[in-house]
Amino acid sequence: MVSLWFDKGTLLLKGDVGTPYGKWDPRVGCFRLKALHYRDVLAYLKESHVPFEDNVPQLPPLETLKSTVKLRPYQESALKRWQRAQNRGVLVLPTAAGKTYIALKAMEQLRTQTLIVVPTLDLIDQWRSRIRECLGAASGAVGGGENTVRMVTVSTYDSAYLQAAFLGNKFLLLIFDEVHHLASPSYMQIAEMYIAPYRMGLTATYERIDERHHLLPRLVGDLVFTIQVEELTGKHLAPYIYEKKYVGLSAGEQQLYNREMGTFKKYLREKHIVMKSPKDFQRFIMRTGRDPRAREALLARNRALKIALNSQEKINALAKLLDANKNEKTLIFTLHTDLVYTISQRFLIPAITYLTPKEERREILENFRKGNYHTIITSQVLDEGIDVPDATVGYILSGTGSTRAYIQRLGRLLRKVEGKQAHLIEVVSKETMEVQMSRRRTQKNTEEKNAIASK
Amino acid sequence: MLPSNLLTVWKRKGTIQPRYAKPSTENLQIANQLIEAYKHKLGKKKRTLKKVADDLEDEGYSYHLVRGLSLLLDRKSDYKCTSQTDPTELRRRLFQTTGKNGSATTLEQRKSIIARVASQLKISNEQLEESMYADLDSELTLQDFFPVSPQKLLEEYNLSLTQTLLFDATELKFTVSANWQKIFFKTKKLGLIYDAYKDNGFWVKIDGPASLFKLTRRYGTAIAKLLPAIIASLKWTVEARILWKFTNEIYTFKLESWKHAPLFGIQQTTESFDSYVEEDFAKRFQALNSDWQLKREPEPVIAGQHVLIPDFSFEREGTKLYMEVVGFWTTEYLLRKIAKLKKTKAPILVAVDETLACERLTKLEDQQSLNLIYYRNKIPLPPIIRHLQKAFKEIHAKQTEFLKNLNVTFTEPIIRFEEFAARTGVSTQAARSTLTENPPSNYIVLPHSLIRKDKLEKIKKKLDRQIAKIGRLPLTEASKIAETEQEYLTSIIQTLGYKIIWHGINTDKAEVIKRDA
Repeated sequence: MVSLWFDKGTLLLKGDVGTPYGKWDPRVGCFRLKALHYRDVLAYLKESHVPFEDNVPQLPPLETLKSTVKLRPYQESALKRWQRAQNRGVLVLPTAAGKTYIALKAMEQLRTQTLIVVPTLDLIDQWRSRIRECLGAASGAVGGGENTVRMVTVSTYDSAYLQAAFLGNKFLLLIFDEVHHLASPSYMQIAEMYIAPYRMGLTATYERIDERHHLLPRLVGDLVFTIQVEELTGKHLAPYIYEKKYVGLSAGEQQLYNREMGTFKKYLREKHIVMKSPKDFQRFIMRTGRDPRAREALLARNRALKIALNSQEKINALAKLLDANKNEKTLIFTLHTDLVYTISQRFLIPAITYLTPKEERREILENFRKGNYHTIITSQVLDEGIDVPDATVGYILSGTGSTRAYIQRLGRLLRKVEGKQAHLIEVVSKETMEVQMSRRRTQKNTEEKNAIASK
Repeated sequence: MLPSNLLTVWKRKGTIQPRYAKPSTENLQIANQLIEAYKHKLGKKKRTLKKVADDLEDEGYSYHLVRGLSLLLDRKSDYKCTSQTDPTELRRRLFQTTGKNGSATTLEQRKSIIARVASQLKISNEQLEESMYADLDSELTLQDFFPVSPQKLLEEYNLSLTQTLLFDATELKFTVSANWQKIFFKTKKLGLIYDAYKDNGFWVKIDGPASLFKLTRRYGTAIAKLLPAIIASLKWTVEARILWKFTNEIYTFKLESWKHAPLFGIQQTTESFDSYVEEDFAKRFQALNSDWQLKREPEPVIAGQHVLIPDFSFEREGTKLYMEVVGFWTTEYLLRKIAKLKKTKAPILVAVDETLACERLTKLEDQQSLNLIYYRNKIPLPPIIRHLQKAFKEIHAKQTEFLKNLNVTFTEPIIRFEEFAARTGVSTQAARSTLTENPPSNYIVLPHSLIRKDKLEKIKKKLDRQIAKIGRLPLTEASKIAETEQEYLTSIIQTLGYKIIWHGINTDKAEVIKRDA
């Protein structure tokens, strides 16, 4: 009798039969398959009329789910497209367009063992409370010290990857929040080591700079639905105004900045290095490993960047802005943890970074939601999908030069509040490298939009 | 293990090696400076230690090394938040105040807010400023530090560096001189798969289930965790394939005990006996002084898809038997074990503890093909010796039979039994008994060899000529003559009809004369 087994993130096919998906494993003396092909191999064996015994799934018991989710029309059509594609595929919607609700509705209708994979611990909490509210069910969690498996379980990408050998045969539906992460070389193994035949990917930014998003159709399914910010603006999302504000460096800062940047540029010139893309920069970083001078140049560049970021003028500009918008709910973004704490201490406002204890982070966000706090300064941790409702003003104190981060930071402000117009203001040091970064980012964004429009 | 940004390597012609910190004067000095800094910074903030490391980097020392060593020292340190007021509570009060009245956009506002909150908490403004983020990692105070020697720190660093490189390993091959059992146990526990093969020694390749489909670093971390067990024995060779993430190229990484063991300063551990029963058996067997060589935990034996590490091996002139000692067992377990044992071609004795048997033995009685030996308290020697002798005899008989049927014509002047045995793959004893029982016609039997008659005659003539001069010959000279003809004098002296006259025990004074003289 042919039998199919789960073995640490792969499948073993025992018995005298081959499949188009298997590979002979001489180490164990039978065929081995990627767990990803579970659906295919079942179909193959059934079609070939091979009697077999399936020992693969070890599913947690089903629980009852409440039905309270009401979808907006565009969410409805996104879900339909996904269902028509045999419950597989990626949905691209801008931040705050209610991706979570589409997923919840899909779970309610499929009513099967589901693993939701999210990038951060905060998102685990957020998903779990949504599941409790909307589906009336308690959920399991893997990651951040917790390890409980239930019919609906939420995990980080890291834990889903590390525990694939243990979790891979426990779910039939996988939901990947911020699915663009899945295409990375290690995380893509989550898709390969889990048996789930049903898969949903959610993101606001499908494309990756490294082009790896082309792997997603094989891992999750085709791109089945896309809707742009523009199509939703005004209707479902609050419109926003984007401004750029330039501030100069003080004379002393400018002098220091020029000296450090000079060191960096001199090195590039001498070595005939041209930097156009992130890849060029990556190559330069590798150089610093073997060439002490390259490292010195890199350190000089970093110091220059720090001067521009931490410029006193920028802090003064921020003081003015905060004064002018006193009663607005305000989020301040910056890339640098040090700057977060400098500003937190200077203005005595709450800070959230990767160093902030979970409990305190929750408390700060809760107070912000309730209106007890009006302003939060934060580094990247709020980048992806964390709910910070009602924020109407955003300041960016430093840019990352990455399109995705840019859109998602915008997204955080796009909350629909009656009659509210959101403002996003980027504060950039004049005539420094930061201007170039910020310019490149805006340009890239426009290019992408055009590319999508012409499809 | 270190974060991968602290990994530093050199690559050459497809090989990769970490840049190890050899115990040079300079490296020992850096290590010492850092250790001393940690000792002296007790009660100081963590950022002051970071400053020490930064300064060393500015002096031009490798930042990989300095940061790596600091990190290892941090792990030997205990940091605590020493603020009198709880920073979280303090912040809560500050943020509530600015939440109500707006952020401190001017310095005057800031001052008054701080003063207000400080008085609420009954601390000074300065204390408040200091405590606001006193719980941040860089603000923690060094409470305790467990010092190491600079040498030891470098060794730890080198091991960590190796493990960090192995994070990117796709597979690892190794061979070791001991500890097989422990290594296999750990391999399984880490979810890895091993594959044993013979290639100039017994080798094991380690990777994971999904390695079958593509090169993956997925098992690198587990492989890194396995390393300490592998290099804990006296002799080892490790070879890993590293998928270098920056360039996506494959490199070979090789470690050999004779070359690299000193870098890690490893404390060798060899396994002690699993039980008193085994230890006791080994002692008693050794005391017999038999021709059999007893080895505890010999190299693994390949058994179908698996490998098996028997508890003992007995070896005598190319005849090898194994013994497995089974303590607590069920019939099912024993049968499974035996099924596995049977897949090996090697003969295995199974010593079974009768008193610990939890099922009746009758079920096993029809398992006649098994070499089961039951014991209570201690493993009995006689049945084992019987088995060994029987096996040896069987093999001896088989080999003699084999030699008899072997059609060889001898032409060489001297046939040494040992060489002949090695050439035909039988034991010396089998070779000797076959050759002496029925020697080829023109050969004469000597204790260790056969010699062609004309060859012996030639030696005899040479010796006779010398002895004839004065009726005797010094033993040393006679030996020389024999040796020029590739034979030992002592082997032929009897056959040729000579004897040795001793003048004291000194061989220089001994002489050879004709026996009938």
